[in-house]
Formats: sequence, structure tokens, C-alpha cells
Amino acid sequence: MVNLTIDGKQITVPKNATIYEAARDNGIHIPVLCYAKKLLPYGACRICLVEVEQMKGRLIPSCTTPVTEGMVVTTTSEEIVKVRKTVLEFLLVNHVIDCPVCDKGGECDLQDLTYEYEVVTNRFEGEKFDLPTDEVNPLIERNMNRCVLCGKCVRVCDEVVGYGSYSFINRGFETKIATAFDRGLHCEFCGQCVSMCPVGALLPRPFKFKARPWQLNEVDTVCGYCGNGCTVTLGILDKKVETIRFNDKIGVNDGNLCIRGRFGYSYVNSDDRLTKPLVRKGNQLVETEWDEALQVVADGLKKAQDGKGAGILSGARLTNEEMFLLKNLAKTLGTGNLDHSGGECYKGVTEGLLETLGVQASTGTFPQIENTDVVLAIRNDFYDTHPVVGMVINQAVRRNNAQLLVVSGKGGKLSKLPRAKTLLSGPGLELDVLNGLCQVLLEEGLAKTDGLEGLVALKQSLAEFTADKVATKTGVDADALREAARQLAGAGNAAIMLAYGLPYTPLSKELAVAAANLSLLTGIAGREGSGIYLCGEKANSQGAIDLGLLPAADGLGAQAMLDAAAGGKLDALYVVGEDPVASFPDRDKVEKALEQVPFLVVQDLFLSSTAAKANVVLPAASFAEKDGTFTNAERRIQRVRAGVPSPGEAKTDGEIIAALDAQLGGSLAFTGPEAIFAEIGKDVPAYAVNYTEIGPQGVVWGGEILQPVARKLGEAVAAPMVEGAYRLVTGSALHHSGTTSTHAKGPLAVVPEPFVEMSRADAATLGVKEGDLVKVAGNGVELKLKAKVDLRMPQGVLFAPYHFKESGVNRMFKTESVISVTISK
Amino acid sequence: MSEAVETKVEEEIDLTGANEVIDKYIDMPGSLMPVLQGIQEFYGYIPEETVHLTAERLNVYSSQIYGVLTFYAQFHMEPRGKYIIRICMGTACHVKGAGRISDTIEDRLGIGHAETTDDLKFTVEHVACIGACGMAPVIMVNDGTYGSLTVQKTDEVIDKYKKMD
Repeated sequence: MVNLTIDGKQITVPKNATIYEAARDNGIHIPVLCYAKKLLPYGACRICLVEVEQMKGRLIPSCTTPVTEGMVVTTTSEEIVKVRKTVLEFLLVNHVIDCPVCDKGGECDLQDLTYEYEVVTNRFEGEKFDLPTDEVNPLIERNMNRCVLCGKCVRVCDEVVGYGSYSFINRGFETKIATAFDRGLHCEFCGQCVSMCPVGALLPRPFKFKARPWQLNEVDTVCGYCGNGCTVTLGILDKKVETIRFNDKIGVNDGNLCIRGRFGYSYVNSDDRLTKPLVRKGNQLVETEWDEALQVVADGLKKAQDGKGAGILSGARLTNEEMFLLKNLAKTLGTGNLDHSGGECYKGVTEGLLETLGVQASTGTFPQIENTDVVLAIRNDFYDTHPVVGMVINQAVRRNNAQLLVVSGKGGKLSKLPRAKTLLSGPGLELDVLNGLCQVLLEEGLAKTDGLEGLVALKQSLAEFTADKVATKTGVDADALREAARQLAGAGNAAIMLAYGLPYTPLSKELAVAAANLSLLTGIAGREGSGIYLCGEKANSQGAIDLGLLPAADGLGAQAMLDAAAGGKLDALYVVGEDPVASFPDRDKVEKALEQVPFLVVQDLFLSSTAAKANVVLPAASFAEKDGTFTNAERRIQRVRAGVPSPGEAKTDGEIIAALDAQLGGSLAFTGPEAIFAEIGKDVPAYAVNYTEIGPQGVVWGGEILQPVARKLGEAVAAPMVEGAYRLVTGSALHHSGTTSTHAKGPLAVVPEPFVEMSRADAATLGVKEGDLVKVAGNGVELKLKAKVDLRMPQGVLFAPYHFKESGVNRMFKTESVISVTISK
Repeated sequence: MSEAVETKVEEEIDLTGANEVIDKYIDMPGSLMPVLQGIQEFYGYIPEETVHLTAERLNVYSSQIYGVLTFYAQFHMEPRGKYIIRICMGTACHVKGAGRISDTIEDRLGIGHAETTDDLKFTVEHVACIGACGMAPVIMVNDGTYGSLTVQKTDEVIDKYKKMD
């Protein structure tokens, strides 16, 4: 700690603090423009100049100057005010004064400072900037005439996002912020730059002329897309979500968001939302009243239960409270056929983890990742499914020199981070590489085997995974594999990252077991500061696992329910918040099941391809319309808050399920999320938390480090390699999440349709150019997809994301992780 | 930016030369400047494709490279002529009639400052003092210096280079 005096006040601050931070943390105001909490000190704008007694003769930028013992600082004097005024005059020489039409007006740092320092006239005159605005991209408006060259956008895109869209170009008066070759923005569109801009140079285009900032009502909630659990602050005007506001005060994401979080909210306002219950009459789905719809559903489910049985299949974007109610509904109905969407797909991950570590969750928390020495990411897709954790990894790498290891069948964002080492395997062979890493640890005596069960069996099963053999099969360099294992073993703190979700079904159990083995052999699981991270695809995937939204002992899981339905052995299916036709593997099977089942109820926001087949469709509420809790991928229970009412007569899933429960004679009334959360606590001890005590940072159940309750090594049987000139894999694309984002304008503006991604070499061989329509055939199915050509795909490997129902990718993928395909123009 | 910036110019460039330059420096930290200089030496300018290649191989953002390229006057992103004519516009040359010299060159080649002839033979640049005031007015053609110029002498210099390959 360091003692110093600021404006006569004696203060003590940590020795790595700057003068600005010391002042701020002690309630002393120093104006800043280019400073941002999450960025490294820069000192571009000189508005924060102060006087330091020990450094007389010049003014000192407080945001870049570290404190020293005995420092005496003055933050305001006649000279300082004069200089700050001059700085502002300089900035205003060429800054256009179009505040009346600038969306930043009212929360613009330059406007506020000009007001604070009463800069009413300008002694200098000069040309105003007259630069064209970036009208090309749909999401971020760049008006460089308003830019003050603070460099925050350049820095956040580098330091936090790791994309590097922007740079200062030219020199002197000509200096401006631009992209490479001064073109329109073409990037991830996470909008981090927008959130950082102190003026109106970077603005969210969808929000243009929608509202003045002071008119907006702000509601803090949790993003409804992925398992990262980012806090999003809804900006609401007239009961409509108009924008997502920057908020770095609360939550786990430090104000960082991805395109989905920042621009993907618009599906909430979509005109396609369901507003009234629909009941099938003849061949038509007809709008009806709730009473009738609920009666039909209750009767149908009861009848089915008296017959061959009814089943309930839930998505993973319901709140914990809603999932709890759904569990109770199953009890009331008397069915054990209950599952969440993971039951069809990624249940292997949880099973694998339960068998090895005895827990079914990440063992660490996200903020710890920033301070790790080594991060191992399984599949480059990790950044695409969980971009904001990806940003934490970027900061670990860039700021703290962490070594990033990527085990992946294709390139991607993570592989491009500084010093990243990619163990690039053949498609679908990531598992072999993980086994290979375990084998190296054992072979070289680096494994921490004390107290581990199953060591002998593991050693036997890994005999085929020596570095050389793995190298031969996967194409990964044997020495690189050995080196990676040594780095993992030698790391003080390390993180193993595995994302799971609907498109990553095959081998999910084996991958989880292999990752768990690795975490046990390295001692990462349960070690302070380290962790194995299992990151769910959906906002409440972890909640579904924690609450045990699973089949009863005698009940059917998701796959079994679909099989039973397809075989005419199930009389009703109630699907809540999921579109299996579009998202589950093996669409043919799903379609058959939904067509065969005599009574289908679908509860959703949209008339999805599943809902279109239903007997009754119940209109549900989005995340922005409900209260409750989500549990994110690091076990953080966070409050979800309603910001807007649901459109028309749509109700929250909780209200619908409770009403249905009552209709069926159940006892659990819908008494609001707080009361239900208390009920959950009685069932699930980890959730025995007072609802009102779930603060701005949420509550992490199990603590910062979750100790494994078992330490049992498992056997992860690898799959044979799929041969073929072209091999197709599926997965998630960065701009989308599940199928919901295909209803959101923001993500759609950037990635509007399905595509197949290929290497430049393959494109050249096939004579295919970006955007050409190509035929991809395999597994008896032919898909027509637009070609996307880039550098990240290895030759002979193709990637097609699964989000778009029209693509039919899930018709081709049934149980495979890789499919040998032919491709032609 | 509003002018159809999305259409990327498809340049058919043989990247072998650029790859060789990068190979030479790839293990040296902070090697962007020598790499760019090497590429310019090889191609005569910095083709866009080589920027993306350099970005990919050195793991530097394309935007950063573009920042460097626009910061330094030494880098050129358009093809340049085989013969670079630098016309001195310094004070001494100005007084001694640099304007007439540059007019003559413009008449003969049809190009002015920072322009290149269509056949990529000549590029004209107006430069500040080249440090040869005693020879004013003076021009340089690549490494050759021609001083005490008159309109007629300038014509002869141009003729000489026009005849060369």
C-alpha cells in the first residue's frame, strides 16, 4: 500500500494504482475521456491532467501515472482548469457539433465535459471533419466526424475482443480510426467498441433515432442466449426493448457482450411472436382463448396418460423456477417421462462427468480463468458458443501471458490469439488428442495419480494413444502433443474448456470423460485457481442439470420418448421452449415422432417448425418478460428480471405450467418466483439461498472452487476415423445461438442464412467462389448451401452450422460427428 | 467508405516473393517494418494480398499493418513506375524555376505529383529539398541526379529514360 495526499486528503491505495484510480476510489473527481476501467492506461486525451508537487513544472496525466509514497496531488487549480479548457477547445475545433441529432446526446463525455468546463466559445478555428459515415454494415454506425481519437475502440477490439478491426491510420491532422484499407466494418459485430466510445462516433444502428438516453428505463437481467450468463441491461421505452445498455457495474461479464447479447434482443419485439393460444381444428391452427386451450391440453394429456402415456420435453432457456414447476407438473400428471433437450443430445457430458468427478458442473468460475497460466480449449468452436468467456481467455493470453492450447479439428478465433498452440487434428478426432495428452502425462511420469481410482484400467485403455500413434491417426505433431502435455502438467493454474450443446452430441460422453481424466491427472479439477469448465449452450442448461429435469426411474428420456412416439408407443408429447425439428440431430426421426404422436402440445415464442405440427400451441414469454433465476455455466445463480410485458396474451412458461398444473388438479400454485425458488432450495440443497440475497454478482453454488466428490478415471473410447476427400462437421456459428437467434434481426443482418465453410484450396479445386450455391451430399441427404471461403478450414474439411431450420443439416447428421460427403457446384 | 467499400479488389498476385520475405524474418520479434520494406522492394509497392498474408503469418491485425503503411511516407500501396522522378520543390529550386521543370515533365508524361503512367514506367513525386541546392533546379530519377536543369535539358533526361526499357 502507498500513502499519498490528493487535494489535502490523506489516502492509502494499492501500490499499482494510478493517481486517477486512487482519486476515484476515494471520491475525488478527475475528468477522463480516454480512460476505461477494463483497458490498459493510455493517456491520449490529456483531460485528466493534475499537478504533483514532486513533479513541478509540468502537468501530469493522472490516468497513466502510478502513485508513489508521499505524493502530493492537486486535481483542480486555475492552471489545470485553463489547460483542460484548452484541451476541450482543441477537441472541438474539428468535432462536428451535431448534438441535436446525435444519439449520444445526453450521455456524451465530450458534451458533459464541455458543459462542466463551460467552454462556451472557442479561440481556435479550423476545418470541421467531413468524412463519410460507414453506411455499409447493418449494426454499427461509424461517424468519424465525431471521433476524438481516444483509441478506446482500437484498444477494446485488441485487448478484450482480440479481433483487431481498428487502427489509427495516417498521421497528424489526417489521423483517424479506420479498418484495414479504410473499408466498412466487417467483423464479429460484438459492439464492444460501441460500448466504449465516449462520444457519438460509434453507435448501435438499430437504436438510431429510437429514444433519448434519459427517456430509457433500465432493467438489469441476464441474457437469454448462451450459458455464459452475461448481464444485459435492457433499455426500455414505452414497454419495448429498444437497446441493450452498457453496464460494467454488475454481473460476471464486466460489460462485455457478443453480437447475440448486444444486438440479438430484437426477437423479443418480433412481429412473428405468438400472441394467442392456437388449437388445431381440422387442418388449421386456430386462435383461441386460454381457458379453452388449457382445457384441451389438460384433457389431452390426461387421456394420453390413461392410455400409452404422455411425455414432457423441455428446452434449457426456462428459468429454474419454471423448470421446477414443470417437474411438478410431471408429478401431477403422473408421468416419469420428463427430460430437457440435453437428454437427446449432450446428456453424455453430464454422465461422463458424474462417473469421473462425481459432479456435473464446472469446477471453477470464469473470472479465475484470467489468472491461469495455461488454458486448454477443446474445439475452436468454444469461442463461437461462448464468446464472452472467449474474451476472458483472450485477456488471460494478452495481459497475463497465459499459454493457450487449442485441440481442434479446424482453425478459428482462439487459434489466432498470440502464442496460441493449436493441436490441429483430423475432424472429429479431438478425443484422440485428449487421450494422447493423458497418455503422455502417464508415460513421462507427470501425472498426479495419488488417490485416483481406475488408473490401471486407464493405462491399459490408453496404450493405443501414445504420442506417435495419435500423431499418425490425427495428424497432430507428436512433439507438439508432448510439449502441450508438459505445459498442462507444469502449470500453476490451468483451465480446461469444453462447450456442449445440441450440435455436439456425438462422443459427448467420451469427450467429457477424456477431459475429466486430463483434469484429474493434472490435478486441475478442484485445485484453487484452476478448473475444468463444462459450458452449456443455453442460458439455463446448468439449471436443468442441477434441478434434475430428468426422467424418473421408470420414465423415458428425450431419445426414448421420441423413439416411443415414432413407434406409436406414446400418446402425447408436451414440448416446452424447444424446436426439436430444427435443432435435434436426426430430423427424420424427430419428424416421424411428432407426426406419429396423437397429441402434441408446443409452448414457444414463435410458430416454430415443431409448433406447426402441434395440436395446441401455447404462446410463451421471452427472457425479457419474466422474473426468476438462470444458472450459468460456472454455477452462478443470477436474477432474471422482466422489463417488458409479453405481446398479446402470451404468458410466461411458469404461469402456463402452473395453470396447467391446476387444471390437472395439482397443488402447486404459481406464487411468484421467490416462493418457488424457496421450494427449489428444499429439493436441491445447493439452491438453498435466499432469493432476495441473490445480489448483482449472483450466487455461485458450491463456491468459487467446486471440489470433485469422486476421482475416478474413465475410459474414453475413440471413434474410428472417417475417411473421405471431403468431411463435413457441424456445430455453432459465432453470430447465432440455438434457433432463437434466427428470429433476431441483429445476428441475421450479419449471418442471414445457412452456409458451408471451406478452405481456399478446396474452393479453388472446386471452382467455387464465396457465396456460390453448392450441393453437399452425404448420408443419403443432399443439402444446398452457400459457400463461405476462408483461411480457418483445413483442406478437405467442411463446416455447416446447425441453427437454420431450412438448412436441414440435422437431417444429414443422425448420430455422426463427421460425415464423408461429396461436394459440387 | 460509402463508395462501395465492400467490393474487395481481387488481385492476382504471386505471393511467393512475399512469403520468402516473411520466411526470413518470421522468428524475429517486431519484424513488421523490415517485412513490409522487403515486400515493397520485391513488388515495387505493397499489394493488398500481401498485407493479409503478412497479417496471417506474423499474427498481426491487417488494420495495424494498414496503420503502419499509412503512417510512413515510404510505403506505397499502388503499383509504382520503374523510374521514380523526384522533382525538388525546395526553396532554392523553387526560385530557380522548379515549377517550369515540373510543368515540362507533366507535359511530356501526362502525370503530376504522386501519379504513375499507365505503362508503369514513370512515377512523379514532388519532394521537399533533396539537399543539392547548388545544382538547383534539380530532379532525381531513381538514384541518378540531374541538376542545373532547363526545360530543354529536362526534355533530354525524359527522352533518355523513355528510350530505356
